[in-house]
Amino acid sequence: MTIEILYPEVANLYGDLMNMEYLRRSCPEIELVNTALGEEPRFLREPVDLVYMGSVTEEGLTLAAESLMPRRDEIAARVDAGQRFLVTGNALDLFGLDITADNGWSLRGLALFPTHARYTMMSRYNALYVGKYGDIDIVGFKSQFGHSYADGDVTPLFDTLRGCGLNEGVMGEGLRRENFMATYVTGPLLILNPPFAKELLADMGVSEPSLAFEDAAMDLYRQRVAQFSDPGTGIVYH
Amino acid sequence: MSKLRFAFAFLAAKLSVAALKITGHMGTNLPGKLALKLCPDFLRYIRKPERIIAVTGTNGKTTVSNLLCDLLERDGKPVLSNRYGSNIASGIATTLIGGCDLLGREKYGIAVLEIDERSAPRIFPWVRPELAVVTNLFRDSIMRNAHPAYIADILTRNLPAETRLVLNADDLISCGVAPENPRVYFGIERMDSDVTDCVNLVNDIRICPQCHSELRYEYRRYHHIGRAVCDGCGFASPAYDVAGADVDFGAMTMRIRDAEGEAEYRLLSDSIFNVYNMVSAAAVLRQLGYDHARIAEIMDGCAIVATRHNEEKVGDVTLIMQMAKEKNALACSRAFDYVAGREGTKELVLMMNCLGDVKHWSENVSWLYDCDFEFLDRPDIRCIVATGARALDYRLRLLLAGVPEEKIICIEDELEAVTYLPFTPGDQVYLFYGTDSLVFAQKVRARLAELAKEAAK
Repeated sequence: MTIEILYPEVANLYGDLMNMEYLRRSCPEIELVNTALGEEPRFLREPVDLVYMGSVTEEGLTLAAESLMPRRDEIAARVDAGQRFLVTGNALDLFGLDITADNGWSLRGLALFPTHARYTMMSRYNALYVGKYGDIDIVGFKSQFGHSYADGDVTPLFDTLRGCGLNEGVMGEGLRRENFMATYVTGPLLILNPPFAKELLADMGVSEPSLAFEDAAMDLYRQRVAQFSDPGTGIVYH
Repeated sequence: MSKLRFAFAFLAAKLSVAALKITGHMGTNLPGKLALKLCPDFLRYIRKPERIIAVTGTNGKTTVSNLLCDLLERDGKPVLSNRYGSNIASGIATTLIGGCDLLGREKYGIAVLEIDERSAPRIFPWVRPELAVVTNLFRDSIMRNAHPAYIADILTRNLPAETRLVLNADDLISCGVAPENPRVYFGIERMDSDVTDCVNLVNDIRICPQCHSELRYEYRRYHHIGRAVCDGCGFASPAYDVAGADVDFGAMTMRIRDAEGEAEYRLLSDSIFNVYNMVSAAAVLRQLGYDHARIAEIMDGCAIVATRHNEEKVGDVTLIMQMAKEKNALACSRAFDYVAGREGTKELVLMMNCLGDVKHWSENVSWLYDCDFEFLDRPDIRCIVATGARALDYRLRLLLAGVPEEKIICIEDELEAVTYLPFTPGDQVYLFYGTDSLVFAQKVRARLAELAKEAAK
């Protein structure tokens, strides 16, 4: 079982890479393979069970876009054919139409989704997040320069219960297209959400998945779900 | 109109200083806050010392600022500083208000100002330092500072063009700040303990800043700190203008040298990050015209500020307060690495909780997964108390780091949790705390001392 990590040399912020290390620890048959900037993504030439990309610097977004843009149509075809992706943090913005920042920086995205990201570089959005993935409670954090705004209909990954979705005006969080899943929620997402991590492993074909230190992770998850769901707990950090 | 507004703001701020003095509320930013509220461009008009040295960067800026103040004062120069105030715009305003007499005339010829990196856009348009030290740029608070390249960009956009930069050549991120500015590089030459591969989770400069090929490190100290070269395009870390060399932690000495001379310096601390702090301070003084012999002489009597690391024998154990800033993966990793590398058996208490977040929010814990808890998986660490609001987070992170479950004591109440420590005779008992838990840490320390004494009976 192979997980391909895209561009860990730049997409390595906010502990996000530990998401994949957690899956590997939970399932020893998983092999993590790194794809560097400029290399052809492995999933375009051989079967890969999950493609992952995590939070990334703005320069890293530019470099990742340069690497992926020549293969944009092929990537879109693979996504429509069911290639499984998990994208966390601001890496989500790479797959929309564009990113524009108030300091003049901008980037054209891969246009897998009709979304525009808008960054305000001196004003970060910091918040807690509570949502649902089917019946599964999702908790985590958002720490980002901006939000995404969709031109048309998009399918969200999570239904927001507390906090904001793709932007402060919508409740749908993240983006979904077939098995492509992207979310702004960090944490790391899979460590903070063991039921979601198990669901992902099951979707990847792991039978009866169990997680590393599952009891400790579940104790923490239950505590966090209760705390974040409490109306007395603030959501947006001021 | 602006000057009239400034005069009013200055007077009001001076009155507030007097009122605070009378009521015993010193060390607050209130005068500067008030001044900036009444006159948003207050920093533009207030008189400033002729020479300003700014110190910024992720880690070490307080230590370097304090060290520079101590050095200059030991040389007989009165120094204006924000040593007891904050490093954001209101703190700088408060400091500058204190540096003027009632008529608004500056009383000091030189200022050493610690400046928060993110506050650069509010400070540097009007406070234009002759020299600015950037100690290093690492990951800091995710919520505020995002990532170091973002902070480097803020500094590049805001540092005055004429400011001479004193930069860490061993840190390719801060090296890249304001590339058009005049600059001097400091660093530490190869050490026996150096490695070439990164052993840390965080390595923020893996690719060449010019051609984006993978960088190769000729030597590396920790994270991205070291000397890197690019085999793709020939790019390399800059050469040192002022270099620390022959660092000897046994003899507690090193040499600092440059093209014009060198001297032996007594080490003020046995930690490598404080060696960097010493070399950066020496580099600043060299720019001010001091020779090495004089710098070494006045530095010999200095001390590194005690709030960061403080140890005391209590009962049969050594009780050690170890600052490890909350929400700062790098500061905690450095502290863990330092403690892990010390001789002897240890008992640890982890309470780097962000107490401010506990009341109405919840701390963003993603930094725990950037932090090298793996350093704590050692046979000479007897047990680890995970405590405070994030006790369960610490427990899971420690387990993932390989620490055996039986070594972990996980109890949320800090004062109760420490009662489970064994206080084995001869052990070092470390209390890891952050800036946010500074006051509460003293309470826990007092409890630890009581328990250590009881255990010794």
